[in-house]
Amino acid sequence: MGCGVSKSNPFHKNAGKAIKSAVLIQRWYRQFVARKEMRRRYTWHIFQSIEYSGEQAQIKLYNFLGYLMDNFTPASNERNLISHIFRDNEVCRDAEWERYFCYKNIEVPDLYSGPHLTFPLTVEQAVGLVEAFRNKKQLHSRYVLQLLLETWKQLRLLPNINRISTCHSKEITICGDLHGQLEDLLLIFYKNDMPSLEKPYLFNGDFVDRGKDSIEILIILFSFLLVYPSEVYLNRGNHEDHIVNLRYGFTKEVLSKYRMHGKRILKLLQKIFSWLPLATVIDQKVLVIHGGISNTTDLSVLARVDRHNYNSALRPPKKRHQREVGESIDSDEEAGSTNKVLQRRPSLTSPRTLTRNCFQNRSLQDFSDRLKANTVEEVEVHERLPGPFGPENDTSQSCESISSEDEWKQILDLLWSDPMAQDGCVPNEVRGGGCYWGPDVTEDFLNRHNLQLIIRSHECKQEGYEFCHNRKVLTLFSASNYYDVGSNRGAYVKLGPDLVPYLVQYQASSMIRELSVRQSAGRSERSANKVLREQLFAHKSDLICAFKKLDIENKGRVSLANWASAVESVMRLGLPWRIMRSQLVTGRSADSSIDNSIDYYEWFNELAIKGANADHIDQSLLETLYRHRSTLETIFRIVDTDNSGFITMEDFRQTWKLLSVYLKMEITEDAISDLAVTIDSNQDGSIDIEEFMEAFRLTDKKSRLERGRSMFMGTATDLTKLEGDPHI
Amino acid sequence: MAPKKKEEPKAAAAPAAPKPPEPERPKTPVFDPATVTLEFTPEQIEDFKDSFQLFDTTPTNEMKITYAQCGDLIRALGQNPTNTEIMNVLGKPKVEDMHTKMLDFDQFLPMHQHICKAKDCGTYEDFVEGLRVFDKEGNGTVMGAELRHVLATLGEKMREDEVDQLMQNQEDANGCINYEAFVKYIMAS
Repeated sequence: MGCGVSKSNPFHKNAGKAIKSAVLIQRWYRQFVARKEMRRRYTWHIFQSIEYSGEQAQIKLYNFLGYLMDNFTPASNERNLISHIFRDNEVCRDAEWERYFCYKNIEVPDLYSGPHLTFPLTVEQAVGLVEAFRNKKQLHSRYVLQLLLETWKQLRLLPNINRISTCHSKEITICGDLHGQLEDLLLIFYKNDMPSLEKPYLFNGDFVDRGKDSIEILIILFSFLLVYPSEVYLNRGNHEDHIVNLRYGFTKEVLSKYRMHGKRILKLLQKIFSWLPLATVIDQKVLVIHGGISNTTDLSVLARVDRHNYNSALRPPKKRHQREVGESIDSDEEAGSTNKVLQRRPSLTSPRTLTRNCFQNRSLQDFSDRLKANTVEEVEVHERLPGPFGPENDTSQSCESISSEDEWKQILDLLWSDPMAQDGCVPNEVRGGGCYWGPDVTEDFLNRHNLQLIIRSHECKQEGYEFCHNRKVLTLFSASNYYDVGSNRGAYVKLGPDLVPYLVQYQASSMIRELSVRQSAGRSERSANKVLREQLFAHKSDLICAFKKLDIENKGRVSLANWASAVESVMRLGLPWRIMRSQLVTGRSADSSIDNSIDYYEWFNELAIKGANADHIDQSLLETLYRHRSTLETIFRIVDTDNSGFITMEDFRQTWKLLSVYLKMEITEDAISDLAVTIDSNQDGSIDIEEFMEAFRLTDKKSRLERGRSMFMGTATDLTKLEGDPHI
Repeated sequence: MAPKKKEEPKAAAAPAAPKPPEPERPKTPVFDPATVTLEFTPEQIEDFKDSFQLFDTTPTNEMKITYAQCGDLIRALGQNPTNTEIMNVLGKPKVEDMHTKMLDFDQFLPMHQHICKAKDCGTYEDFVEGLRVFDKEGNGTVMGAELRHVLATLGEKMREDEVDQLMQNQEDANGCINYEAFVKYIMAS
C-alpha cells in the first residue's frame, strides 16, 4: 500500500534545474533564429543586387551595340560582328520561314531512345514527354522543330490579352517564374496534377534562363498548349527575349544540347516568343502579367499593338531616333550619380529615396565620346550626333495617335516593372527597363480598368509569394531555391470563381530535407559570399584608389568606418558592410586589426583570387575580365555567328576592341595578344570560348583554408567542426 | 500492519512541485531608460546602426523598428535575453502593441545596453549541467523526445515547429542526443 504514484513530472527534485536548463536552451535558440534572419536578409540582398545589376548590364550592352549599329559605317568590321543580332526585322514571308524551319529532312536515328512525336499531339504524348524528361531524356531536334512550328501556328491565333473565365466552378492554377528549373515544374504537376480540361493553367512568363532545363520546360508547356488550347495559357516574360537569353544561359543551353540544329531552334523560338500573349485577364477582374504596370499602362492600347514586331522587348521595331536608356557602366561618378542614391537595395520593404528625373525627360545617351576615344583604326564615326530625342521632341510622329515609342514603353513596362512602397512612378534603373510603380498607381489603374487584383511575377520572394499595395498586387514566384539551395520556396496560386487567391508553397530538392537548418542557410551564405568576394576582387583598382583617398597618412590602413564607406562608394550594392566584415575580412588582415583598422593591401591578398596562368597578364585587364565576365561572354556568343563555340583570333581581337570602346578603356594590341596566347594553346588560330572563360574563372583561395572555420565569428566560441563538409 | 512499501524514489511523496520561479531576479523594477548609462564605443554604435537598418522595414527608411522586432535585433547583435527580459525593457507593453508601436535608434540603445549589462548569459557548463538532469543513464545522452517535451512545456515555451527546427538532425538512430555536442551546436551560432 503505497501512496498513489502520480505520473507527473518525474524530476520534481530537479524541477528548478530543468526549468533553468530549458530557459537557457530557449534563449540560445531564439538568438540563433534572430542571427539567422539577419544573415538571410543580407545574403538575399547580395544575390538580388548582383542579379539585377546583371540585367542592367545586359541592357546597357544591348543599347550600346544598337548605337554602334546605327553609327558605324556599313563596311566596318565591328558592325559585321554584331549586325546579325539585329536582323530580326527582315521582311520575310511565312512561307520562306517555314522552309527555313523545315524539319522534314532531319532524320531520327534508330539509336535514338527519346520520345517520338506524331501530330496532332495527344494527351498521352504530352504526358509522355513529362515522363521522358523526368527520366533525363532529350527530345530529338526534328520533333522539337515540329513542335515549335505547331506552337507558332497556334500562338499566332491568340490575342495580345487572353481573356478567360472561371466558369463551371473551374479553378485556374497560376504559376510564376520557372527559369528552367524542371524539378519545380514536376513538383507542381505532382502536387496539383497536370493540365487538363478540368485543370486549367496559366504560366506567367520567364520559363527560361538560369536553370538548366529551359528547353524541356518550353517543350512541356507548348505541348500542353497544343493539346488543351482552351485550358493552357502563357504570358510572355522579360526572359522570353533572345537578347536576354544570350546572357542568362538559354542560348547556351540550346546550342549545347542541339549542336546541329540549335541555331534554327533558337531562331524559331525568337518568333514564338514574340507571339506570346502579353497579358491575361480572368473574369474581367484579375489581371495577370509578368512584370507590372506603370502610370501610363493602358490595356486598350496593349490590345491593339502588333506584338510580334517586338522580337525583343528591349528594342522597338523602328531603329532610328530611339531613346537610349542607360548610363555608362563604370563612370557612376559623373553627374548621373545623383540618380543612383542607394541606401539599401530597392526592394519593396526598403526602397530608395527618389531623386531621379521622370522617364520622359531622359535624354538620349551620347555614346559618341566613346567612339572618338577608341583605338580602333577602321572605325569611322558619323558626324551626325544623336540629339536629345524624346517624345516631346519627336515631331515626326506627333500626328500618330499612338507613337511607336509609346507602344514600346507599354510593352517594356508590362514585362520589366517592379512595385515599390512609395506612391508615384519612376524609371526602374536597377534593372534598366520598366518602372517602379506605387500603390497610388495600382489604385488608379484598377479603377480605370474596373479590375480588383494584379498578379505578377518577375521578383524572387522568399516565401514564393508576397502581397503588396494593400493586397491588391500579388507577386508569385515558382522557382524554388532560386539563388541557391535553401534560399526560397516556390508557390503557385489557385483562383476559383470567388477570385480569392489560394496559395500553395513548396520547395524542390531532396537535399533540403537532409541538411540541417544551419547547413542549408550556410550554403546560401557561402555562395553569396563567394560571389561578393569575386566582385570585390574585380574592383580592386577602384577600391585601392578609394582607400588611398581616406588613408591620408599613407599607412596602408583605414578605419573600419572608412573601409565600409569606401567599399560602398565603389560597389554601390547597398549592403551592410560592417556587419559582413567578419566574413569578408579574414586571415591576417583581420587579426592584425588593432583599433579596428584594416590593412587593405593585406586584405586583397587574403581575397587572393586568381585564375591559373594569369600572372603575366596586365592587372587592369584582368580586373576588366573578372568584372565584365558576363558581358564579355555575351559578346563572344554574339560574335560566334555559326554558334560553333569557336571564334577566330581576328574576331577575338575585334571583340576586345569592342569591349574596350564600350568600357572606355585602352587595351593595347600586346595585351590582347597575351590573352590570346594564353588560351590558344594549339595555336591554330581559333579560340574555344568555353576554355577561355574557364581559364579565367576565379578560384576561391578561401576554400583551401580550414573548412571548419565558422562563417560568423561574432561570438567567441569557434566550435563548428560539427558542421561537417560545407560543400555537400 | 503491512510494512510500508519502499517508496519509489520518484513518488508523489516529494512535495508538490513549486511554481517554477522566473529565471531572473524575483523583483524586476520598472525599466527606466533614463537610468542607463551608455557604455558603447562609437564603433559599436555604428555596428548597431547597420543592423538596425537591416531590420527597419519602414517604407521611407525612417530608422524605426516595431516593438516585436526589438528582441530579434538584440539577439542578432549577440545577446540572448529571455522574452521576459525583453518585455521588461520595452516597458511591459500590451500584446497588441507589439506590432504597432515603433521605437527609433535612440530609444533602442538604452534597452540594448541594459540587456548587455545583465549578468549571466549561461555558460557552456550551465547548459551541460542543466541537460545532465535529463541524462537518466548518466552516459552523456538525453532522449530527444524528452528534450522536446521540456522545451515545449517548460520555461519560455517553444512552439512545436521551433522545436522541430532546433532538433533537426540532432537525434541519432535511437532518438538520443549527445548533449555536449548539442550545446556546442547551439552556442556556436
